[in-house]
Order: sequence, then C-alpha cells, then structure tokens
Amino acid sequence: MLTAEQNDELTQVDAGTPMGEVLRRYWYPVAFTRELAEFPVKRVELLGEFFALWKSPSGRMGIVPEACPHRKASLAYGVVEADGIRCPYHGWVFDADGRCTEQPAERDNTQFQDRVKAQAGKVEEMGGLIWAYVGPMPAPELPRFDTYVMDGYRDIGWADLPCNYVQIMENAVDPHHVEFLHGRYFEFVGKHEGFVAPASFGKEHVKIGFTAFEWGIIKRRVLKGASEENDDWKVGHPLVFPYNMRVGGGGIHQMQIRVPINRTTTRFMLYTVHSPDGYEHVDQPQIPDYKIPVTDANGVHVTNYVEGQDIMAWVTQGAITDRTTEHLGRSDIGVAMLRKMFREQMDVVARGQDPLGVIREQHERIDLPCEKDKFHAGGAQFALDFCDMGSTRFSPVLDTIKKIHISAADKIAAEKAG
Amino acid sequence: MTVDTRFAADAAAHRRDAPRFCPQCAGGLAIATEFWEADDRRFYCSCTGCGWTGEITPTGAVAAGHEPDH
Repeated sequence: MLTAEQNDELTQVDAGTPMGEVLRRYWYPVAFTRELAEFPVKRVELLGEFFALWKSPSGRMGIVPEACPHRKASLAYGVVEADGIRCPYHGWVFDADGRCTEQPAERDNTQFQDRVKAQAGKVEEMGGLIWAYVGPMPAPELPRFDTYVMDGYRDIGWADLPCNYVQIMENAVDPHHVEFLHGRYFEFVGKHEGFVAPASFGKEHVKIGFTAFEWGIIKRRVLKGASEENDDWKVGHPLVFPYNMRVGGGGIHQMQIRVPINRTTTRFMLYTVHSPDGYEHVDQPQIPDYKIPVTDANGVHVTNYVEGQDIMAWVTQGAITDRTTEHLGRSDIGVAMLRKMFREQMDVVARGQDPLGVIREQHERIDLPCEKDKFHAGGAQFALDFCDMGSTRFSPVLDTIKKIHISAADKIAAEKAG
Repeated sequence: MTVDTRFAADAAAHRRDAPRFCPQCAGGLAIATEFWEADDRRFYCSCTGCGWTGEITPTGAVAAGHEPDH
C-alpha cells in the first residue's frame, strides 16, 4: 500500500517528472530492423512523446521529435535523404545530430538554420531491433545484453498493452504468481479447453528471495522437491532495471521487454533466442516478429498460454493500478523492494548522477545471471513446454524452433551414448 | 486511476500511520510500502538520505512476548 502521491510519482513517464527523468537515461527498442528496411521513416511513441525515426540509404539513422521546429508539421511524414530527414511541408532538413542543414525557402543570406536545432536522440541497431536514446547527452552506451548478441535462432513476439509498465515490472519480482497463474489457473483453463497444462509451472514454492545487484534485482525461488543448490535459487534470474526481465531455461534465452510507450500503454516484447546444447547454427536473414493475442473477438482475454495469463493479470489490475487500496503480504516483499529501487533512482538522477544500469564503458557483451535448469523440469522438456504452452506457439517459425530443440537433444543423447 | 472505494478506510489508515521519518537519521523517508502479516501492519521503508532500509511494525500499547515450546 502506498499513498496516492507515491503511486502517482512511481507511475509517471513524462519529461520533467522524477520517474520520467530516470526513464530518459536508458535506451529502448523502438522498431524492428525490418521496418526501416521496408520504409525508411517511422512514427514512434516513447515515454509519452512522439518522434520521427529514420534511416538513410547509406545506413545513417536518426530520431527527432515529430513536430518540425519550423511550423510543427510531422517529420514522421518526412522525406528521407542522404544525410537527414526533410520536412514534407517546407523542406527543412535535419541531420542525425538534429542540426538544421537546409531552409530552402529562405534566401542564402537570411537563413537562420544555426539557431534551430531538432534535439535529436541517438539510434543504433542491435539484434534485429532499432534502439533509441532520447535523454540528455552525452548518451550512454547501448548495453549489449547477452540475448541480443549470442548465437542462436531468434524470434520476437509482441503486443501493446493498455496499462502502466510498473505493474508489469512488479510481476517480475513476484515468484509466487507462477504457481497459481501458470499452475492452478492453467490447469483450470486446460480442463475446460481440453489440454494438459505443464506440470512444472504448478510446483509449490518453499522459499523466495531477492538480491539487488548492478543491473537490478535477482529473483530466487526454491520449489518443492528442490533445494538451494538448484539453479532456481543458486542462480535465479534478474529483473533488469528499469524495464526488462531476463528469463530462460532448457536452452532458451529470453529478454522480456516492457517499453513505456506512454503512461498507460506498454509495448510488451518477448525477445527469444533458442540455443540449446548441441545447437547447430541456422542462418536467419531476418528475425521474424509476430503479434501475440491479448483478447479474442469478444474482448475476453486469451489465457490459454503463459504470457496471455500474465497479460490478463497486468491489464485487469487497471490502466494504473490503485496502490492506495491494495493489500500486500510478506510474499510481496520483492514488489516493495522494487518500489524502493525506483524511488532511490529518482534521487540519484536528481543529484545529476547516472542511475542503475547506465553504462558508459565500451563493451562486447554483458552476461546476465540466469538459471539454465528452470523449475528442475529437464532441459528439452521445458523447451517443448515453452514452445507449446507459451507465446512461441504463435510464432511463424514454431516448427523450425521445435526441430532445433529436438535435434539438439538427439545430438547430445547420441554423444552421451557414444 | 480508478480508486477502489471498498478499502477507503485502509487507505486512510495508511496515510495516517505510515512512518514519515528515518529511525537512523531522522530525515524524511522516501517510501514506505505497507504490507500485512497476521495481525501486524508492517512498513518496508527506505531513506534516501542515509540509505537506511528496514521494516517498521507499529505495536500499539502492548509489548507481546512469546513462550518457547514446553
């Protein structure tokens, strides 16, 4: 339970608010790489603001606020040229640094282009995604988390959800929900729809724990039949502050991304890499992306898959959940810890410092701790459950993914037998 | 935000009782998240002034002990 003022502060995303200023210190995925290959300019909403994202024929990329500084027409309808984007209305051109390089209707000796800047952000491509930074300069490095740079077979599921991102992040420090939402409730849905829910998701929690670390919070659990020596406790998996969660198991590596589009819309993305022991490289000229279902034709949540169950819980909490009348228990202590972390980082930014997880050193790859033997369910079995019972079932490359896991498991079994 | 009026009394009690000052440095607490455990109301608190983090549990006038098993 919080006060209304604390809840308001916690859930803000707009510029000038304490939390909005924290959020503006990070890079966000704002497009799929294929999108700018198909059409070189895209209107992007991020943190409650609209931008024009563009890529020139030579590969230069830029992001500027959508409204042209001249007379506010949309640069998202702009003409992408060799070194910038040209406003469709009167032809002003802005380069990747936001400099105005042309004002065609002004006479050469009366131009005032040096006095007009478009406050450009920074843009990079990584792992099939276009990433943008729209905060104060100098921009930090784009963190090269393991999932985005490791070898493996990829796909990206996504949906835009009508709720604030904080309640989605609170789910990332809530181990107990798995036992019920993906266990008991999954069984209930399965009985009515005629399928068998995966048994590993319903295992009873014996102990939960949380450890703050340099990238966020590591979540740990001991399930019935396991001990603190099992991966779920010994390694756990992290909430990556402020908007990601790294999960995995059975040769699957996933970053769950929750981009605050605006205060009450969150882009939920499942960036998944299939790389089981025994994996043999498969070429992927383009990483497929696909929408995952949120509701059916009647507006009822689709809850017969894992992430659909999560989405149902997040969205039904309300666009901004009322934390003044919630009733937390001891099992929600991870949620309290995350709120503390958000609050601390507001003060860090107010002092002019970099918040948690902002990196300024060049690097090749950041490996995040993540259990491999999830729910001590066995590698290949967990992977197949993940494919059939999670969002991957909607992937256009589902068959290829399952073949990758089965052939990798066969290869390892043959090596062991030989 | 839609306020759940069923629990307006709980929200009012939180507003009234949530700790305001750090027990270590007496600075204003940054956040106090209330959770319940049996009959207790507990507040998970953080002070951004001195970094103190801990739980505060109001006890009322009674100081309860416990008896070991015997």
